[in-house]
Amino acid sequence: MSLPNRLPAPMGLLIDRNQPLTFSFDGTAYQGLQGDSIASALLANGRFLLSRSFKYHRPRGPLSMAGQDANSLIQLPHEPNVLADCQLLTQGLEASGQNFNGSLENDKDAYLGKFSKFMPVGFYYRSFYKPKGIWKFWEPIIRKKAGLGVLDLDFKPEYYDKAYLFADLAVIGAGPAGLQAALTAADAGAKVLLVEQQSILGGSLNYARFDIDNRRANTLRNQLIEAVQAHANIHILTQATCNGWFADNYLPVIQGKRLYKVRASQCLICSGSFDQPVIFRNNDLPGVMLTSAAQRLMKLYAVKPGKRAVVLTGNDDGYLAALDLYEQGVDVVALVDLRSGPSNRDLLVALEKRSIRCHLATTVYEALHDKGMRHITGVELRSITGQGQVAGHGVTLACDLLCMSGGYMPVYQLLCQAGGKLAYNDAAAEFTLSGLPNNLGVAGSANGRHTLDNVLADATNAAATALTALALPCPTQQSFKAEARVNFPWPIFPHPKGKDFVDFDEDLQVNDIINATRIGYRDIQLVKRYSTVGMGPSQGRHSALPTARLVAASTQRSVSETGITTARPPFEAEKLAHVAGRAFDPFRQTPMHAQHLAAGAKMMPAGIWQRPAYYGKASERERCMQQEALHVRTKVGLIDVSTLGGLDVRGPDAGELLNRLYTFAFLKQPVGRSRYALMTNEQGVVIDDGVCARFAEQHFYVTATTSGVDRIYQQMLKWNAQWRLNVDIANVTAALSAVNLAGPDARKVLQTLCTDIDLSSAGFPYLGVRQGTVAGIKARVLRVGFVGELGYEIHVPSRHGATLWQALMNAGKAYDIRPFGVEAQRLLRLEKGHVIISQDTDGMTHPDEIDMGWAINRSKPFFVGRRSLDILQAQPAKRKLVGFTLPTGSPKPLEGHLVLNGPDISGNVTSCEHSQTLGQIIGLAYAAPEQSTPGQQIPIRVDGGLVVQATVVQLPFFDPDNQRQEL
Amino acid sequence: MKVMICPLNGPRNISEFTYGGEFKPMPNPDTCSDSEWAAYVFNSEDTLGVVREWWMHTPSSYWFLAERHTVTDDIIRTFDPRELFSTRVEFTAAQPQEIAG
Amino acid sequence: MSNLHAQPLLDVGALQQCALIDLTALPRIGFRGTHSADYLRVRGFELPEAPNRAVLQADGSQVARLSQTEYLLLGGLADQGQRIADEEVSWELDHNANYLLPRQDSHAWLQLSGACISEVMAKLCGVDLRPEAFPVGAVAQTSAARINVIVINLGPIDLPRFQLLCDRASLAYFKAAVLDAMSEFNGALLEPEALRH
Repeated sequence: MSLPNRLPAPMGLLIDRNQPLTFSFDGTAYQGLQGDSIASALLANGRFLLSRSFKYHRPRGPLSMAGQDANSLIQLPHEPNVLADCQLLTQGLEASGQNFNGSLENDKDAYLGKFSKFMPVGFYYRSFYKPKGIWKFWEPIIRKKAGLGVLDLDFKPEYYDKAYLFADLAVIGAGPAGLQAALTAADAGAKVLLVEQQSILGGSLNYARFDIDNRRANTLRNQLIEAVQAHANIHILTQATCNGWFADNYLPVIQGKRLYKVRASQCLICSGSFDQPVIFRNNDLPGVMLTSAAQRLMKLYAVKPGKRAVVLTGNDDGYLAALDLYEQGVDVVALVDLRSGPSNRDLLVALEKRSIRCHLATTVYEALHDKGMRHITGVELRSITGQGQVAGHGVTLACDLLCMSGGYMPVYQLLCQAGGKLAYNDAAAEFTLSGLPNNLGVAGSANGRHTLDNVLADATNAAATALTALALPCPTQQSFKAEARVNFPWPIFPHPKGKDFVDFDEDLQVNDIINATRIGYRDIQLVKRYSTVGMGPSQGRHSALPTARLVAASTQRSVSETGITTARPPFEAEKLAHVAGRAFDPFRQTPMHAQHLAAGAKMMPAGIWQRPAYYGKASERERCMQQEALHVRTKVGLIDVSTLGGLDVRGPDAGELLNRLYTFAFLKQPVGRSRYALMTNEQGVVIDDGVCARFAEQHFYVTATTSGVDRIYQQMLKWNAQWRLNVDIANVTAALSAVNLAGPDARKVLQTLCTDIDLSSAGFPYLGVRQGTVAGIKARVLRVGFVGELGYEIHVPSRHGATLWQALMNAGKAYDIRPFGVEAQRLLRLEKGHVIISQDTDGMTHPDEIDMGWAINRSKPFFVGRRSLDILQAQPAKRKLVGFTLPTGSPKPLEGHLVLNGPDISGNVTSCEHSQTLGQIIGLAYAAPEQSTPGQQIPIRVDGGLVVQATVVQLPFFDPDNQRQEL
Repeated sequence: MKVMICPLNGPRNISEFTYGGEFKPMPNPDTCSDSEWAAYVFNSEDTLGVVREWWMHTPSSYWFLAERHTVTDDIIRTFDPRELFSTRVEFTAAQPQEIAG
Repeated sequence: MSNLHAQPLLDVGALQQCALIDLTALPRIGFRGTHSADYLRVRGFELPEAPNRAVLQADGSQVARLSQTEYLLLGGLADQGQRIADEEVSWELDHNANYLLPRQDSHAWLQLSGACISEVMAKLCGVDLRPEAFPVGAVAQTSAARINVIVINLGPIDLPRFQLLCDRASLAYFKAAVLDAMSEFNGALLEPEALRH
C-alpha cells in the first residue's frame, strides 16, 4: 500500500508496513502501522498537537519520542496519563487528549498563558490561603483547571503478579554499552540478565548517527545484537523497566503485568543519557523537539518529522543529525551551533557540500508560531554575545521543525538511589558519578563516555570488574581515547517576555527558578519544593541540569555545590497494581474446619487462624452466644481449641528452663499435675499465660496464647541460646489438635470414649493431667478450669483431630452436646473473671495490677522480669483491674470506654458482655486503686458521652468458690 | 531489600529475619542498682558505629548475632551465639523454697 | 485463585511438565538432640554431612538435616512410609538427648515436580532455587507465599522435584498459592498414585 508520509526502508525499524491499523484520536480517525506508538502514528498523519500543558494549557507535541516527557500524556478509555510515545498502537484504539476545556485543538483555557505573569511560582500557596479555610473553596476549581486524565471508576481488576529473578550480573540498558558488557560477561561464564525498556535491543545504535558516512552504527548494532540473542548465558527482558535500585542489587523490573524482583550478585547500569533541550522563548511548542526524537521518528517509525528543519546544537551530534534529516528529504534550512564551531571540522565540510548553512556562536532566541500556537512557523536566530546573552537583532528563518540538543545528562537515577554522588565537571559541563557500592557499576554515556570506541571499552572494563567480583576470568583493561565535549555549558537564553521553559511538565520558566532563589530558597531541595521543578511526570529528566545551572549562577555558587535533588524510586510512574501484585494473605485452619462449617459456624479471625465465633446466623450472634454459654453451664459443650499454643519442653533441664521463664515455680511440680504459668518480660510486664502440664520427669507441655505462642517460643530459644540449658523446646501448636469438653455432663461423655484413664474425681482430680486414649487416639488430657465448669482439655495429634471431634459429638448426643464458639467461650471466661492476656492486659500491665501476685514465686533464684517486679512493687500501685456489674438494660460499655475518677480518667473497660446466666452486664476495667474496693461505684463514660455508674464486685462473677470446675 | 548471611542458612532476604534487639549483657539482678537495671531494660545506646545485635532466621527459628555498622548499614559479620555463650549460665542467689503440689 | 482440580490419572507428562501432589498422608518424623545422629545411624540411616543437606536412602526414604542436631525423615513410596511410621512408634523419651518431633502432624507435605519448578517457586519465594544454585541434595528453610517452608531437592535429575513442607494448618492456603503460581505453566494437581509409575 502507499504510505505518503512514510520514509522508505531501511527507515522504520519497528513498523510493519504490511499491517495497517486504524485508530482514533480525539474523535478523528487515523491510520497507523503495526509497531507504531500512538505518537508516531499521529505524527505520520501530520498531527503534532498531543496535549495541553499542566498550568497554562499551552499546546504540546512530542519532545523525546522515548517516553521521557509529559508532553505526550494522553487518555485511553480505561487509563489516564498514558505516554503516547511509548504505548503501542492497536487496531481500533480510541485515544483522546486530556487536560483541556472544550477540545484539545481549541482549548478555552489557553488564555491562561496570557496571565502567566500573574500566576508565578508559589501563586497557589500565596494567593489562596487567606482567609483561613478559603483553600477548600478554590481547590476543586484549581484542580479542575490543572488536572490531568480521568479515572475509570468501573475498572475491572486484572491479574498482576510478581516473581523473583536471579542473575550473576544484571545489565540495565541494552544500548552499545549494555550489549557489549552483557556479551563480555556471558562469554566469561556469568549468567546475565539484560533489561531493556524499548521493544528492541540496540539503544542509541538504533537511531543515532556516529559518523559522517553512517557506517559504524548499523554494523556494530547487527553484530552485537546477533551475538547477544544467540548467547545461552544471556536472559533478555525487553519492554522492561528497572524502576529502582535497592540494597544489595534488589531491582524491581516491570514487564507487562509482572513485577520481577531481580536479585543480582552484580549490577551494571548502562542506562545512557538524556538529550537535553535548549532554553529559549517558545521552546515548548509543537514542532520543537529533541534532536534524538527526530532521529527516532525517522529510523524507528519512518516518519518524516518536518519539511523544513533547523537544527540547534551544542555538540557535533547535531551535525550528524542534520545529515540524517537531509538524507531523508528534509530541507535543512540551517544548522545553528551554540559553539564557535564543531570539534570535527569535517562536519562543516560535509554540511557545506549539501548546501546546509551553518550559523556559529548563534542560538535560536525565539520560536515563532501561528495564532493558535499549534505549530512553529519559524525561528529567530541571534548571535551569542555572552553567557545567556544575545545580540540586539537577529534573522528570522521559516521552518516547521526545530531539533535541539544542548548536551546530555546521564540517566543517573538508579545510580543515585544506590548512593552514587553527582559532581559537576566544569570543563565538560557535565555531571559525573562516583561513590557507587561495590556490587554496582556504570558504563557508557551514563558514565560520560560518548564515542563508540570509548563506550565499548568502558563496557568491557566494567564487565571485567563485575567478573572479578564473581571470581570469573576477565578480559584485560581497555584504554580510552580523548573525546570532544558534548555539553554546551550555558544553553539558556532567557527572553524578556518569558515562555522560556525550564520544566515543561510544570510550565516553569527561567524567571520562576531565579525568583525562587531571590525569595530565599537557595537550597536546590527548597527550590524544588517551592517551584515544583522536577516534580512532574518526567521527574527532572530535562529540567534538573538547567535548574542546577540557574540556581548556581543565581546564588553565586558552583553547579557542584548546588547539586541536584535526591533521586528516589520509582524511576518512572508505576501502577499500584504492580506494587500490590498477587496478594498473599496466609490463613490457618484447624483439622475440624470442615466440621465447623458443616455445623453452620460463623467463622472469625483469631490472629491468622480461622475459628468459629458461634454456630448460627450472623444476625443471631447474641442469641447463639448466650445459648451456647448457657448450654455449657447446664449440660455439656465442645469447643475447638486447636489454635491454642503448645510447647513441648523436654530434657534434664526442662523444669529449670520453665522456672526461669515463668513467674511460678516448676522444679517440684509433680508428674501428672498442671500449674498456671504466667510470663513477664524483663520490664515486668505480663506477656503471656498458659497451663504447664508435667507428663514426665523430663517432659513439660506448656500452653500459650494463640497469638503469643510464636513469640514466646522464639523468646525461649533466645534465652536458652544464652543459658545453654540441657533442654529441647518444640513448638507443637499445629501438631496437636485440642478440644475442650466442658459442662456438668463432660465426664459422662468422656467416659464413653476413654477407658484407660480413671476419670473419677479422686482418680483424676482438678488440675490433674493424664496420657491415655480417647476414641482410640493417643491423647493428652488436662483437667482445667477453662470455662469454670467440669472440663477436660483433650490434645491429640492433628492427623486425628477431625476423628476426635466426630467421636465426641457422637458420644455426646445422649447428653445433648453442642459445639460452642469463641464468643461463648469469652463470655464464660469473663463470668469466671479470667483475664485474657492482651485483651485485659496492655503493654504496661504488671501482675499485681491484675491480682496475679499469687502466681509469682519469689523464693527462686531468678526469673525473667523478677528484678523489675521488685522495683515496681516498692512503688505505690497506679491502677487495678476490677470486675464491675451493671443491671440488664443499662447502656453496655464497650472495650476502651473510659473509667472516670472525678475529673480524671483512671482507666478503661477491657471486656464487657451481658451474661444471661447472671442476669446482668459484667465486665473488667482498669480503675484507680482507691476505686477498686468491691461495692464501690465507678463512673464509666459510654457512647454518646453518657456516664453510667457500675458497681465494683469481687471476682469471679460466677461460682465464687470454684466448686463447679472441681467436681 | 538487604541480604543478610545467616550462619545456618546462608544469604537470605532481610525479610526472612526477625530483629531481636541490641546485644547487651544482663547486669547481675541481685546486686545491681535500680538505675543500672532500668538502664539495661529501657535504654538503648544508639551507637554510631559497629553494634552487636540479636537476629533470628524466622523460618528455622535460629538465633544468632550480627555485627552491623549503623552508619553504612554494612553487616560486618554474623555468628552463632555459642561463640559468646559456651557454658551453662547459673543463677544461685536465693535458696529455692517450693512447696510440692 | 486457581480452579485446578485433582486429576486421578497417571499422567507422567504432567509430572514432567508441572505437577503438585499432596503427600500429607505419608509418614514423616523429626529427631533433634545431640544424640540424634548416633541414634539414627544405629537404625541404619545415612545422614547428611552438613545442615541444610539431604540424602536419599536406599529404600526411598529421605533424610534432611535442618541444623547441627536436627533431622527430618520423610517416608518413601515403596513401603508407603512404613519404616518411618515404625520409627515414630519405637521412640521413647529416655536420658539421651534425642527428642522426637511430630512432623507428620506439624507439617503438610507437597511435592512439586516438572521442568519449571524453580520458576514456579520464584513466584513464591525469594531464595534462588535454580539448579545451579540449589542442586540435588540441597535444603532451604525459607519463606514462601509468606509462610515458613522447607524445600528439599533430592531429584532425581530426570524428574526435577521439590519436596515442600509447610505448617499443616496452612495447607489449604499454601496449596492454593502454589497452584495459582503453577497455572501459567499449565500445572496440574495429581493424586499420589501418579507417583507409582
